[in-house]
Amino acid sequence: MGKIRSLVIKEFRQIRRTRAYLALIFVAPFMQLLIMGSAITNEVKHIPLVVVDQDMTPSSREIVRSLRAVDLFDFRGFADSSRHAVRALDDGRAKAVLVIPRDFEEDIKRGTNPSLQVLIDGVDGNSAGITLGHITSMVLRIQQQWAASRRIRNPSAAGRSDMVEVIPRLYYNPELDSKLNFVPGLIGLLLLMITTMLTAINIVREKELGTLEQLMVTPLGGIQLIIGKIIPFTILGIVQFTVGIIAARLVFGIPINGSIPLLYGMVLLFLMSTLGLGIFVSTITNTQQQAMFVAWFTMIFALLLSGFFVPIKNMPRLVQYLTYINPLRYFINVLREIYLKATPFRYLWQEATAMGILGFLLIVAASLGFHKRLN
Amino acid sequence: MKSPLFSLFRKEVIHILRDRQSLFMVLTMPVLMLLLYGYAITLDMKQIDMIVADQSDSPQSRELIRHLTATDFFSVRVATGGVDNINSLFQSREAQCVLVVPADFAETRNAGQVSRVQLAVDASDPNAAKFIENYVTQAVGESRIGSASLFSLEPRVLYNPDMRSAPFFVPGLIALILLLISTLLTSIAIVREKETGTMEQLLVSPVKPPQIIIGKVLPYTVLGFLDGLIILVVGSLLFQVPIQGSLLLVMLMMLVYVVTGLSLGMLVSTMAKTQSVAMLVAITLTVLPSMLMSGFIFPITSMPKVLQWFSRIVPATYFLEIIRGIVLKGNDLSNLYRPAGILLGIDVLLLVLSIRTFRIRLE
Repeated sequence: MGKIRSLVIKEFRQIRRTRAYLALIFVAPFMQLLIMGSAITNEVKHIPLVVVDQDMTPSSREIVRSLRAVDLFDFRGFADSSRHAVRALDDGRAKAVLVIPRDFEEDIKRGTNPSLQVLIDGVDGNSAGITLGHITSMVLRIQQQWAASRRIRNPSAAGRSDMVEVIPRLYYNPELDSKLNFVPGLIGLLLLMITTMLTAINIVREKELGTLEQLMVTPLGGIQLIIGKIIPFTILGIVQFTVGIIAARLVFGIPINGSIPLLYGMVLLFLMSTLGLGIFVSTITNTQQQAMFVAWFTMIFALLLSGFFVPIKNMPRLVQYLTYINPLRYFINVLREIYLKATPFRYLWQEATAMGILGFLLIVAASLGFHKRLN
Repeated sequence: MKSPLFSLFRKEVIHILRDRQSLFMVLTMPVLMLLLYGYAITLDMKQIDMIVADQSDSPQSRELIRHLTATDFFSVRVATGGVDNINSLFQSREAQCVLVVPADFAETRNAGQVSRVQLAVDASDPNAAKFIENYVTQAVGESRIGSASLFSLEPRVLYNPDMRSAPFFVPGLIALILLLISTLLTSIAIVREKETGTMEQLLVSPVKPPQIIIGKVLPYTVLGFLDGLIILVVGSLLFQVPIQGSLLLVMLMMLVYVVTGLSLGMLVSTMAKTQSVAMLVAITLTVLPSMLMSGFIFPITSMPKVLQWFSRIVPATYFLEIIRGIVLKGNDLSNLYRPAGILLGIDVLLLVLSIRTFRIRLE
């Protein structure tokens, strides 16, 4: 044990001496959370809207007014004709166009059920779907108001109360704030990036400098060497994770709803994978540059197949199977569950087991690779 | 043509052709990235797990459920009589939403009153939650019997009527991959000569700095352009994204954009001291900003103002507008002269800057 202790002490001295490490651990999480946390949002806001009002009556003006009142739309003015409005869509000056037809108010009074035309730029299908949903529910609401106030009499709308109303209740994130979804994921991503990179580069650097050879001629065994590397980087990882959750709290005000000890237990399981991966990368590469590339490439893989941006369920079957060997998939899931839903361990044991097995396999693979180097 | 520019051009071409391994990687890596990203990134939602707690268990409630099961969007499980604890259903991830149909559903319907159903949604994925809410509201609205409304809504979705993900992401991926590859290509061009010591030899030859820079950019332009063509064709055919506008214009703009990446890489190369630093800077400058700030996935209009300004200096922002415009909307230059002009401006600026820093380094 004494040998490992001195190795750990040596690592910490080196880490303390390298300013870049400290910056990576304490400053990078804050910066990245701040920038990425603000940029990554699925919310749809400020859609540029152009209106063609061919009716020009109190009713049409009220519809325009209520659309201008919400921050879903950025009102960009009126267009003279549908042709002009489509041109605005083509140019990208508008993403949505509302056309109120001539005699709109007249037709409502006559009960002939006129229709409002909505043109939406569908390039971004996701945003288009959300915009459409918003407009639909707004139009419904306006009709309900009008029907209730009887401002406009409609002979055929007499039996209007005959309907089903959906009362939604949104659990865990009632404001639908996408930060609550992305920020915990980001913390997991940062933990993977920084710990894997650091271990890989740390060991490869010793290789490049030749100090790894020196370590090998000491009476330390391969296993002891690996443990001596794992312990300090585990501690670093935990410190960095703590900085991450504090940053999430301070910058975005996101609290942890679930059990914090459970969260840290999961972090330990996950660190087995990230450190194992880091050591493994260092055994198959010879220069820091190579190590960086391999680590970078694996990380893009891990990121894409983790459900961070895109729910895994949306992916094709075959790609879904690939995600099962990705430790980040489980960790991001666990983070979101504990952070938002306060999910207890009895619903998370599958993720924990998967992370444990993957971590164990990676560390074994790394040790084997390390042994080969020694001989 | 025995000009110094031409001989430099020839020298670079020979270098590129000789390094077969790198050449192979440069030509295949973009396709691999396109396949991986293209299949992994899709926002088309389907098979959302829904539990309907049918406390009414009547023909009326079954009619409602039929409307919900009709789409591929939900995978519905009916729990007659109701569910105990919605919270634990969400935590165990058995369901992403629970629709509670009250016991008096049939009575209120028959009496012609408003019947209320409750929809509980696990909103930890807010995007999915929004879609679920919209979908249920629509499906329930359809099952409404003979209620006449004042007016109706006639939506028309242009350019991508089925609101699929692929037409949105494939052009975006081309923008992302092309910039990454072309920046990486030149980022080591000058540093490598510095590191191997051949820079001195170049400098004592009668070639002028602008000629060195342009002589190095030109051959890689051909290579980058070839890459762009490959992923454009593969992406368009494989993911079924037909090109609405002029193919010639797409190719022309791709050429402009490849030069953007190459001159950015060149600038990095004139400033960096070692190849690994150059590559790292090149990756950092291209991947994250192009992915997060350009509107590739996340709408720019939803970002905070500061980041919106930042997105305007990211070249991918303009190319995305151009390529989505041409491929999906069938735009021509009359729609796109602004982003195209800005992109050209960025090209010139970056090239001039790299020639200048190269000169300064020489002294």
